[in-house]
Amino acid sequence: MKKLSRISALALALALASPLVAAWLPLGGTGLFAQLAPDYRAAWFASFRQLSITLAATLAFASAITIGLGYLSIYSRAGGKAIAGLLEAVESVPSILIALFCYAPVSGYLARHAAASSSMVSLMVFIFAATLTTLPEAVRGISIPLGELYYRKYSLSFRSYGFRKGRILDILMRSREMRDALKRTCSLILLKTLVLDCSFGFIIQLGFGSYGTPAHASPGALIAAHRDALFQGGQPLLFWLPAIPLATISLALLIMLGDKKGYAE
Amino acid sequence: MSNFPIVLKGFSAAIGDRKLFDIDDFAPEQGSSTAIVGRTGVGKSVLLRALAGLLPADPFILKGSMRLYDIDAYKNGRKTSLRSWRSVMAKGLVFVPAESSQSLTPALTLEQNLRLLAPDSRELVERRLREYFRIEFADFSRFYPDEVSGGELQRITLMILLSRKGDIVYLDEPTVSLDRELRVRFIELLNSEFLGGKGKTVLAASHDLDFVRALKMDNIVALEDGSLKKMGGVPESAAFAKRETEDKGEPGIALRSLTQRYTVRGIFGEKEFRAFENLNIAFHRSRIYGITGPSGCGKTSMTRAILRLIDGTSGRIELDGSELISLKSDERGGDPKAFRPFRRKMTIVQQDSRYAFFPDLRIRDSFRQIEAARALSGGRDRRRGRRGNDSLEAYMKKVELSPSLLEAYPRSLSSGEMKRMDIARALAAKPEVLLLDEPFAHIDFATRSIVMRAISDYMAENDSILIVVTHEDFDLKYFVETGIDFLSLSGPSASLKERVRS
Repeated sequence: MKKLSRISALALALALASPLVAAWLPLGGTGLFAQLAPDYRAAWFASFRQLSITLAATLAFASAITIGLGYLSIYSRAGGKAIAGLLEAVESVPSILIALFCYAPVSGYLARHAAASSSMVSLMVFIFAATLTTLPEAVRGISIPLGELYYRKYSLSFRSYGFRKGRILDILMRSREMRDALKRTCSLILLKTLVLDCSFGFIIQLGFGSYGTPAHASPGALIAAHRDALFQGGQPLLFWLPAIPLATISLALLIMLGDKKGYAE
Repeated sequence: MSNFPIVLKGFSAAIGDRKLFDIDDFAPEQGSSTAIVGRTGVGKSVLLRALAGLLPADPFILKGSMRLYDIDAYKNGRKTSLRSWRSVMAKGLVFVPAESSQSLTPALTLEQNLRLLAPDSRELVERRLREYFRIEFADFSRFYPDEVSGGELQRITLMILLSRKGDIVYLDEPTVSLDRELRVRFIELLNSEFLGGKGKTVLAASHDLDFVRALKMDNIVALEDGSLKKMGGVPESAAFAKRETEDKGEPGIALRSLTQRYTVRGIFGEKEFRAFENLNIAFHRSRIYGITGPSGCGKTSMTRAILRLIDGTSGRIELDGSELISLKSDERGGDPKAFRPFRRKMTIVQQDSRYAFFPDLRIRDSFRQIEAARALSGGRDRRRGRRGNDSLEAYMKKVELSPSLLEAYPRSLSSGEMKRMDIARALAAKPEVLLLDEPFAHIDFATRSIVMRAISDYMAENDSILIVVTHEDFDLKYFVETGIDFLSLSGPSASLKERVRS
């Protein structure tokens, strides 16, 4: 029964996150999309495609760094303190500002170059910024349960058997508890990246308009561009088309984030 | 509300094919107290954790129904809705688990833990700590759980948990880690504030018959053969005659001017304390030494210092003509090459054996890894694998564990089974120095005799050094050959003396 409910939750989460996949399918001439202006349609597909790339790349990049730093922070106390200090400093700066700071060194390049290469550089900078902003919480998500397992539970026994610290941590990292922690951390990385992507896109759209730099296509920018559609006599569909998929994707990530170890039903 | 706050009907629990209990009908009266006695591993803790709603779905299979405060808590073996359990929790459940000190959240200070677990009970906690355990909560409130000694943490946690609001109280082996003095005070607390017509419905599971005998319990039931049987009184605990070892006076391990320092976080940075100071003693081979002393006096620190698993040790630890502190002065997550042969010679059974094997490996696989690590440490006998396994199975039989448990995961073993498995693991390692830290706390008296016999047989056959940290009268009377009061060995620092006095 428990397994069935977990499978159902996973299926629901995948269904809710399906707009990210739909953006890659040739749906431009079908259904609702057929009624939309070509520019808007292109922008919708471009923004969700870019969002899916951003989420996938940030997940891969940030989770690899998170696992490394989480492990290192327990493996070496001095390293752990240094990492904690660094991440606390990063966390004290709002995510949007970090993203803007990250764009500063490349802003000239983005303004001078053609759309294709500019978009690529912009995407890479954004992935770097998103990784940086998600790291503090993500590393804590790994190091706290790993530290708990090591220091409070297994270190004394296994050190007394002659295991080296690194070997104990290797085995604990593969434990069910840590796999659950990693899964929750991945959901957290995705959720934070999604929020940053949309809020950054929204602010860029408001601040720079469609010709501004950085060249960051995002559903958030689409929402910002059509924010008056609900009340100023525009087409409400243009607002809801990016907003509803964003809400369902967020819900999917929340479902995955809330998936904890089961207790007796 | 009816007169029966806890009602079980056809309630059963099993792990796979292994049935733990099947209770037809159990409904203690409001305000009554019931002690559940029985051998370790029969399912006492599982029953209490199910009653508290804390039993993990995996690996237990539950059936039947449970009502708490007239609210359906389990139906057909399934937990009812979150709303039902919220209603139960709102009326109040007090649950004190066996390893109570693990109940606190390590990321919160003791003050924050108190506010989380027992809001509005600060005065009660303070009064009870002062009255029964002579501890001022305010002195410890800003510390994190890891920053206070095991004994202090245990007392504070017990009081926080017991001061939660609720008329249903579950106590699961609450005395397993309490020293003799604390146990007496804990019994005083229970008798004067919880038992004997105080309106609380108390269920206490314990294999410690002396503890149950000292409590003002209304009913005694035994969990035997999977069902609850009412008993006329507390059964007598069995005595035990062990095989005598032959003390040849051979030198074993000697501690000379041994001092153990540790640091505690203070308002103005870290402050240094001493767990013990100037410890001088020699432990001979083929003799069973029992170390006693109040909680927090440094007994466990001494065993960890001998094993070279903690920093801050000074003085000398001599074994086989070598000085261990000079071979390994700091714990850096690995052993220097010169120390590795000594790692192979020593082993410990810790107070909490739940973490003696890796969580997601079968016991057999964990044991293989442990054997491999020990072989690498010692640099000899690397092909011991098969023989090590046979040896483990032999010792498992001696402590009355089924070899089939080798295929089990640690989470499916009871605390008593894990303790016996850990002892079998330690004996199978054929150590020259065997350190046992409260080794029998989770084991009932009948099983304890069996385990003691296995250990004394090992001692009679090997010239090993055995140091047992214990505060149980039974162990001191029937098992230990030389009892040592830890405080008489060392000159404790002023701060320690002060804490021990409390």
